[in-house]
Amino acid sequence: MLTSIKSFRDALGELLVEIGEEDQNVAVVTADVGKSTRAIKFGEIFKDRYFNVGISEQHMITFAAGLARAGAKPVVVAFAAFIMRAWEQIRNSVARMNLNVKIVATHAGYSDFADGSSHQMLEDIALMRVLPNMNVVVPADVGDLRRCLKRIVVEVKNPTYVRIGRDYSPPVTEDMDYRCELGKAYVLREGHDVAIMGSGPILYEALQAAKELEKMGISVAVVNVLSVKPIDREAIVKIAKSVGRIVTVEEHMVFGGVGSAIAEVVAQEYPVPMKMIGATTFGRSARSQQELLEFFGLDRKAIVKACLEVVKNRDRNA
Amino acid sequence: MVKGDAKPILKILSLEKDVETIEKLSKAAYENLLVMYKQDKHTHLRSSQTCLKILSVLMTRYVNRNGSEVDRDWFILSKGHAAPALYAVLAELGSIPKSELAKINTIGSLLQNHPEISMPSVDVSTGSLGQGLSIGVGIAAWIKKAGGRGRVYVVVGDGEQDEGIVWEAITHAAALKLNNLIVIVDWNGFQLDGDTEEIKPKSYLPLVWKIVGWKVLWANGVDVVSLITALEEAMDSDKPVVIFAQTRNAVESSGAINNAH
Repeated sequence: MLTSIKSFRDALGELLVEIGEEDQNVAVVTADVGKSTRAIKFGEIFKDRYFNVGISEQHMITFAAGLARAGAKPVVVAFAAFIMRAWEQIRNSVARMNLNVKIVATHAGYSDFADGSSHQMLEDIALMRVLPNMNVVVPADVGDLRRCLKRIVVEVKNPTYVRIGRDYSPPVTEDMDYRCELGKAYVLREGHDVAIMGSGPILYEALQAAKELEKMGISVAVVNVLSVKPIDREAIVKIAKSVGRIVTVEEHMVFGGVGSAIAEVVAQEYPVPMKMIGATTFGRSARSQQELLEFFGLDRKAIVKACLEVVKNRDRNA
Repeated sequence: MVKGDAKPILKILSLEKDVETIEKLSKAAYENLLVMYKQDKHTHLRSSQTCLKILSVLMTRYVNRNGSEVDRDWFILSKGHAAPALYAVLAELGSIPKSELAKINTIGSLLQNHPEISMPSVDVSTGSLGQGLSIGVGIAAWIKKAGGRGRVYVVVGDGEQDEGIVWEAITHAAALKLNNLIVIVDWNGFQLDGDTEEIKPKSYLPLVWKIVGWKVLWANGVDVVSLITALEEAMDSDKPVVIFAQTRNAVESSGAINNAH
């Protein structure tokens, strides 16, 4: 049963089949990673709408642009790291023509923990959100993916980049009940001393950090910035005004990613003290995703430390 | 009279008329090119000139842009820097007012130095080499999947084939047996930095297309009858077709100016 699935890619495979049943114009395009991404689940049922282009990521993107131009609703499914070698194709042939191409990038962040820096994509949010016409959505967990993928593929007409990991999807939103909307952020937990805002499975670390901080008497809000672009300016300004301190978290470089997107709003609309948690260099091989989060300082401990600092700094400046 | 005899006769008659029309049109289109070049030296004159006859033949006799997405034909200028050639021909066909030509590259003009779909008679935005061909493969694949009647015509350069995506696209098109995809190579022998053979030899390229599964044809790219003959042969194929159209003569005969970026 779908709801019992805890792995991003397993959920993706099932969802693609559901979407394919609902909409005859949906096609899936992949580049020899049909099995690894579970896109093949779609291909097993809808053979004539499944295109495995071989190990050709650049052509995969422009081929999908052609499908879209001819009236299809293509969903490109491949590893985030290698979709980025087609960045210029995404720019010139998808975003520039504002074509209805959906890109589901799997294995993002540290989720492909064993494969090391070549496969651990930490720059994609920056590269995608800089493109005109492109939406960027980063589901926090399988629940978020289930909430948003069908809507994005069937209803959204602009190019959209959906970033997920391989398997690792600890429960972040399972108690939540909201409808996925582009341009909306969702409060996972209320709090008034500091707000942790970010995207992806790292929000699980944020929620754990919030619990630890609560024990120290610090009240922490956690906000899921599911839609990185368009970003929920209203929610960010509201948090800046009501909480006054922000720590951003992302399994991505701190340069140009979710934290930067939030900082762009905060700096222009309502400046408050901020700290940004994220990667600052390439990844490496490890035995688990958790190990990498700890090694690179993206775990709950690092988040607690950043929150304490931002609270302290604010008090000193007050 | 045997049943069916009339058909080839009619075709020859229409061919004669077409050749005359196309010759006339491409002469007028060449004047249009010069109008644009006179106004803005950033327009790529030589690359536009070498594919002018190819575009004249395609747009006059083959590309039918009416119908649903899968029943209409598509034209993609993958060598997007030859946009002035497209505009020159479209102006003669009445798709663009001739008065627009002189405004090319002025702020606010739809005539961009590389084609944009913001202009209604442009099917695909191009300008980054190799991508138009790859998009053409996607369009042809969806037409075929939908059982549509449309064909996809793509004009690529010879220098353009240095791009790796061309390999990715032609091998995929061959695997899908896209016999509704017709590519014409403007085999003019030069690229931005100079002679194609000096930058990177390309004489083996037709063999590469053939061996990966394309039907390969040759044409004199400055001769309307030769181009039509090749295109008629391209209509009947069980695989994608590429026509290598020799166009170096177009430059040497007129001594056109080489304008670079």
